[in-house]
Amino acid sequence: MKRKLLMLFLSTFLLYATAMAQQMTITGKVSSAEDRLGIPGASVKVKGASTVVQTNSDGMYSINIQKGDVLVFSYIGFESQERTPTAASTVNVSLKTDSRSLDEVVVTAFGVKKDKRTLTYAIQSVKGDDLRQANQSNIINGLQGQIAGAQITSSGGSPGLPSEIILRGVSSLTGDNQPLMIVDGIRVSNASTDGTVNRLADFNPEDIENISVLKGGAAAAIYGIDAASGAIIITTKKGASGKMNVVASAKSFLETVGRLPKRQTMYTTGLGGTYDNSTTTSWGRKFRVDEQVYDNPKRFFDTGLTNDFNFNINGGTETYNYYMSGNYRDGSSIIPNTNADKLGILLKGTAKLAPKLELSASVNYIDNKIKEGLVGSNSGGWANSVYRYPSQYDIRNYQFDNGDPNYVYYQDNGGTETGILSPLWNVNKNPRTTRTRRTVLNGVLDYKPYPWLSVSYRMGQDYYNQTYDNITVPRTPGSWDGRLYQTRGNYVNTTSYLNTTFNKEVIKDLNVYALVGATSEYYEAKTNSITGEKFQNPAIHSVNVIEAANLKTTESNPRRQRYALYGDFRLEYKRMLNLSFTGRQDWTSTLPTNARSFFFPSVGASFVFSELMDAKDWSGKVRTIYAKIGKDAPIYRTNNNLTQYLGIGGGFVNDPTGGNPNLKPEVTTNNEYGMELHFFKNRLNIDATYYISQSKDQIISARVPLTTGYVIQTFNAGTIKNKGLELSINGTLMKQKNFQWDMTINAWKNTSKMMELPDQVRVFPYTFGQPYTAAIAASVLDMPVLGIVGTDYQRNSDGYMVIGADGYPLINSTEKQQYIGNREPKFNFGWLNKFQYKDFSLSFLWDIRIGGDVYNATRLGMMSAGIAKEAGDWRDKEFVFNGVVKQADGSYIKNTKTVVLDYNYFTTNYASVGTNFIEKVNWARMRYMTLGYTLPKSFTNRLKVNRIQLEFSAQNPFLFTNYSGGDPEVNSAGPNAGGAEGGSTMGVDFGAIPLSRTYSFGLTVSF
Amino acid sequence: MNKKIYLIPVLLMLFSACKKNLDINVNPVQPVTTTSNLMLPGVLGNMAYHAYSHARFSVYHSFYITSRYTTNAIESQWDYNRITRMGAWRWHYFDVGSNCISLIKTAEQEQSFNYSGVGKIIMAYSYLTATDSFGDMPVKEAYTGDFSPAYDTQDVVYAEVERLLNEGMADIQKSGSQAKVMNAASDLIFQGDLSKWTAFAHALKARMRIHTANFDNKYDEVISEANTALAAWKDPVFKYAADPQRDYEKNMWGPSVPNPVWNFADITNYLGNSVSTDFFMNYLTVAEPGIKYDPRLYKLTTPGKNGRYQGAKMSEGIADIPFDDFASLYKGFWTADNSPMPYMLKEELYFMKSEAAWYKNDKQTAFEAYKSGISENMGRLGIVADSVSRYMASAKVKKTADDLTIGDIMMQKYVALYLQGETWVDMRRHKYKTDAYPGLYYPKNILAEFGGKWIQRFPYDPQTEYIYNPKEIARLGAMARNWVFTDLWWSANSKL
Repeated sequence: MKRKLLMLFLSTFLLYATAMAQQMTITGKVSSAEDRLGIPGASVKVKGASTVVQTNSDGMYSINIQKGDVLVFSYIGFESQERTPTAASTVNVSLKTDSRSLDEVVVTAFGVKKDKRTLTYAIQSVKGDDLRQANQSNIINGLQGQIAGAQITSSGGSPGLPSEIILRGVSSLTGDNQPLMIVDGIRVSNASTDGTVNRLADFNPEDIENISVLKGGAAAAIYGIDAASGAIIITTKKGASGKMNVVASAKSFLETVGRLPKRQTMYTTGLGGTYDNSTTTSWGRKFRVDEQVYDNPKRFFDTGLTNDFNFNINGGTETYNYYMSGNYRDGSSIIPNTNADKLGILLKGTAKLAPKLELSASVNYIDNKIKEGLVGSNSGGWANSVYRYPSQYDIRNYQFDNGDPNYVYYQDNGGTETGILSPLWNVNKNPRTTRTRRTVLNGVLDYKPYPWLSVSYRMGQDYYNQTYDNITVPRTPGSWDGRLYQTRGNYVNTTSYLNTTFNKEVIKDLNVYALVGATSEYYEAKTNSITGEKFQNPAIHSVNVIEAANLKTTESNPRRQRYALYGDFRLEYKRMLNLSFTGRQDWTSTLPTNARSFFFPSVGASFVFSELMDAKDWSGKVRTIYAKIGKDAPIYRTNNNLTQYLGIGGGFVNDPTGGNPNLKPEVTTNNEYGMELHFFKNRLNIDATYYISQSKDQIISARVPLTTGYVIQTFNAGTIKNKGLELSINGTLMKQKNFQWDMTINAWKNTSKMMELPDQVRVFPYTFGQPYTAAIAASVLDMPVLGIVGTDYQRNSDGYMVIGADGYPLINSTEKQQYIGNREPKFNFGWLNKFQYKDFSLSFLWDIRIGGDVYNATRLGMMSAGIAKEAGDWRDKEFVFNGVVKQADGSYIKNTKTVVLDYNYFTTNYASVGTNFIEKVNWARMRYMTLGYTLPKSFTNRLKVNRIQLEFSAQNPFLFTNYSGGDPEVNSAGPNAGGAEGGSTMGVDFGAIPLSRTYSFGLTVSF
Repeated sequence: MNKKIYLIPVLLMLFSACKKNLDINVNPVQPVTTTSNLMLPGVLGNMAYHAYSHARFSVYHSFYITSRYTTNAIESQWDYNRITRMGAWRWHYFDVGSNCISLIKTAEQEQSFNYSGVGKIIMAYSYLTATDSFGDMPVKEAYTGDFSPAYDTQDVVYAEVERLLNEGMADIQKSGSQAKVMNAASDLIFQGDLSKWTAFAHALKARMRIHTANFDNKYDEVISEANTALAAWKDPVFKYAADPQRDYEKNMWGPSVPNPVWNFADITNYLGNSVSTDFFMNYLTVAEPGIKYDPRLYKLTTPGKNGRYQGAKMSEGIADIPFDDFASLYKGFWTADNSPMPYMLKEELYFMKSEAAWYKNDKQTAFEAYKSGISENMGRLGIVADSVSRYMASAKVKKTADDLTIGDIMMQKYVALYLQGETWVDMRRHKYKTDAYPGLYYPKNILAEFGGKWIQRFPYDPQTEYIYNPKEIARLGAMARNWVFTDLWWSANSKL
């Protein structure tokens, strides 16, 4: 079905000609040798002449020739055949697929399908089936390990936490570093407002036909603004003409908790070695033998169960096709009182209104409801309360049978209350709920007056309503009267564009492709937030029981309009030498009038060098491209505003975010060089890319010196450079009658450098990457961008720790912001294996990461709280530090002094040194393993169904790592944390919820 | 051909429509300008928060209270190296300063010199409050858009305070009928009585002068400014709601530990885990027949569970004393949710006068002002006449001018200015000496690396100044871990 679609499409690119002489008429059908179906759009031409016709949608043709003429039957991706008819007759030809050609059709910008051979840039696609094998409900997570150059991190193993994808490194210091997300030609939101799941997770992976990843700005240049970080082009499935297909499937997932940080189980709560139950820190005395010690993290986490149902009907005829799918997913999680409930419906159809006019439309409705027990802050910290909960209390005893809180410590100190309560109180009583109701509408009208010319107009809208609720019930410590926070928002992104495409062999062997278009994109959101305090009726948690004076409502209304004119011109000579030029003129509302219009080009070339050689079993291509892309500013950052003063007296005060009337676009320059090699009749394919990109005049929204009179401002400054290597190898290692083994290896490395920072700035800390001052996530001038700065010990010139006269190591107190870690992995490796044996299929993906520092702030917090494992192992033990002692003459001698590792040492010395919590982490992780089995035909026929498939799968079953904490895949604040600081907390483990190990079983029935 | 001509106007229309659609970068739901009467309440409210943001930490440095734990970096160890933010810096430059500048500008455009005058006086008060904790700070290059302004020395900041006060008073003088009305709705301090603002400006001059009087001989000016202020005095106090509901309506010292939005998070009070120090309790313990404690103790604090009034050694936690044996610090006169937040009290004027006279050897004036200060404070706290007279008769109060010591004056001022930031200035001016503060001792748990030095200042905001202005920070030496132990201008020069 897929190939047929493809043929339909490609037919538009084929040559068009009219017959000349009229001596005899040959008719017939051109079909595929593989499935015997007619090939529409195949060309039938007279050898050595200009006479050419194309087959119709059934593959039928009719051509007039002169006697003796040789007919050539050809079609992209098939081996051509020649026939010499002797009389007017019917000539049916069946074409075999050409295993030799480079033809791999890929989806490029604006959904244009192109022969990969003619492209001048890197592109990698993931088939829907490969995505589904990963069994991830969040599409972004499903791409892990499948794209060379894509750094994907999830914020943790809870369904409502976002995942972040960054292609080829961080290009913007404070902006969104995620690629543009396009579904069927329409830009869709991937925001994670209020720290909730990234909105691409709304889309159902079952509906996806293909995902094309335009990795660099070069490939995406024609998208202009926002394309600097690449683009992800998602194409959904479509109905195929022929009989109706009906598929139903059900899957169940069992989630278990992954790797957890380790704790000590020897000491009670207290301070400085003395028992004290007014604190949650565990620096107390040793447990007595008669006291019970609870393994609270283990007792906290549950086993989650998720059920996922899919139903899909599609089909069509010559003139129309349809696709309809429904998805319902409902599940709990490893976190108590957490569940995700999602309904998705996609309706799609295409109708041929006239021979040259086609209309397609689709509606995707999603209702996604997520309730989460663990609630963190902007900087993460989700599970800290669980990891640090003292071992002397049972975490499950959070309430009495009557529902009252079971405080383990409570004090009423003259009207002010303090209390300590199990985190399960918050989990069960104060979850946060996000509900998104989303509609993505999409319509496109295609007019093809000539086979070489088409005009299409597309209009689409991504609209969603999001509600977010976080109630804190009365009697919760810290919020004794209760608190309410709600936001209600409508978000709309409307895109429309008009594209004219010209594609013709203008002179012999020279094909010209030209796309000229115009687009408009409008974004608007309208949100209202309500904060309320003190429920007058403690049993009801609504604004209705809060006094009007205690309610605060705010409204926001960001708007943005962008227009663009663009062109894409390509010259293709013999499908061997290709030149490409693009240009885009953008206008955006977010920049000052004098800076809001900008033009940026790209130039590229590719050359299939194997054409020059006598290459039979192999082919090779080299390519290069240069592109420049502009980026606009966040909305409403060009002028100052006032904001309501909420204190006594009211009125207005200056908004902490100051305007900047001098903003200009941020410019990213990309250079990319690549080579593609195909061996053994495409059994082995290698694609290698080297790239350099540099972003200048960064648009930074950050805290500025308060002496300016502002707290936050947006300004242009700073340069980031990224360079890297991507290698993608795929091949069929074995192919026998009943057995096939395919392998894909994606390997990549990105190296970034902070070339320039604003003014005198040397260290640029990230707002949400600073859980403790011992170490913070920051960028440092001339160093890799995703850095960590912090304190270290004093060291002598040989690097030995300097030990003080008291026997304890000395902290370097003059430089608190040394560069002590690089969070960017040294090397990434995705290794996918697929086996097919008769009716069985097995696939598994290893994700291997070498290097990249992780800041284990979880352990730092646990150490300060005396609950980290080492605090139990080493506390009050005698120890001689391996270091040197400075002598009066400046020389150093080895330290021999024995000291006791006491409370003071751990809290004021050990926990103040950032380097103690930076770990160089390697991991090998099996992302998934999926075993499929198709029941024998003999059996399915008896049931009168077409096909029954069973599937057993495991996600994240194995993890091998040297990391001392939980799961090292961490990103504490996730994407767009409380604004937009993409990438800022990748590699920061601050109370992360470990990724769960999940096992699933699925059944698919096709009728 | 015709068709093509029609296209031109269509394209032009399209183009102008597009141009108009691009002009939407002004937030439709937020105002850009307003009138001065709507800007003053925010300035006054933020000034109260600003004054509090200093006191929040300095009350631990001035021995009013101490943490129940020994492990608090700032409260028990004077270690400011672990902070991520220094709220007071923002409260001055942004919340008060930036809004004052907008207010002054708007008022000048409106010809509302009453508002510009008050704006300048508040700006002066804010600079004075800030520099007495921070020392050097940008003045000349502040608010210029420069990300790395030069830091001016503290005498330059003082000159700016002086200039602002003079201009403020001059503006008030020239305020005419074209000015916007200033009334109780906008002037939450004096309800539009401009003479009171002038008196406050004089009081600020007195406060500023007494900081330096010991080395620049300004004692006479202290007395004359204080007298001028006293002549038209009304206490500038910021009043929170009588029955506050929202955090914004509450005094930051209150028991509900207000934390209205995120930028208050680093200055929420810690009184729930703090207790009175032995230093404080010793002075408030009279222990004479019929009078155990200074009657003000029962007003400044409220009884703890066990009704006892223990004092803890500074920095040493509560050690073996049960927490319930201490007074509760909440719901006292200054520490309830609805307590007022003083900008300055009349008592302070009396005690400044007393101190100045005492150092001038005018003991009689010093003694009179000392007594006025005590009785003013007793009256404010609502102490009944009986108790007042019993206290005045006790050995705690000196009976003759000749017996009066500087310690008597400073300790009475200390009690009168309970939980105010100005006390820390007094202590630093007096170099933490025991003649001014009898019984003061160096706290035990201050980190050894600080070498027994006394704390002198706050560090600058680590989130901005250390990042954007590293050269100036390095020039000042503010990178050092022990920077907060470096004397301010007036403490370095102090001859006391």
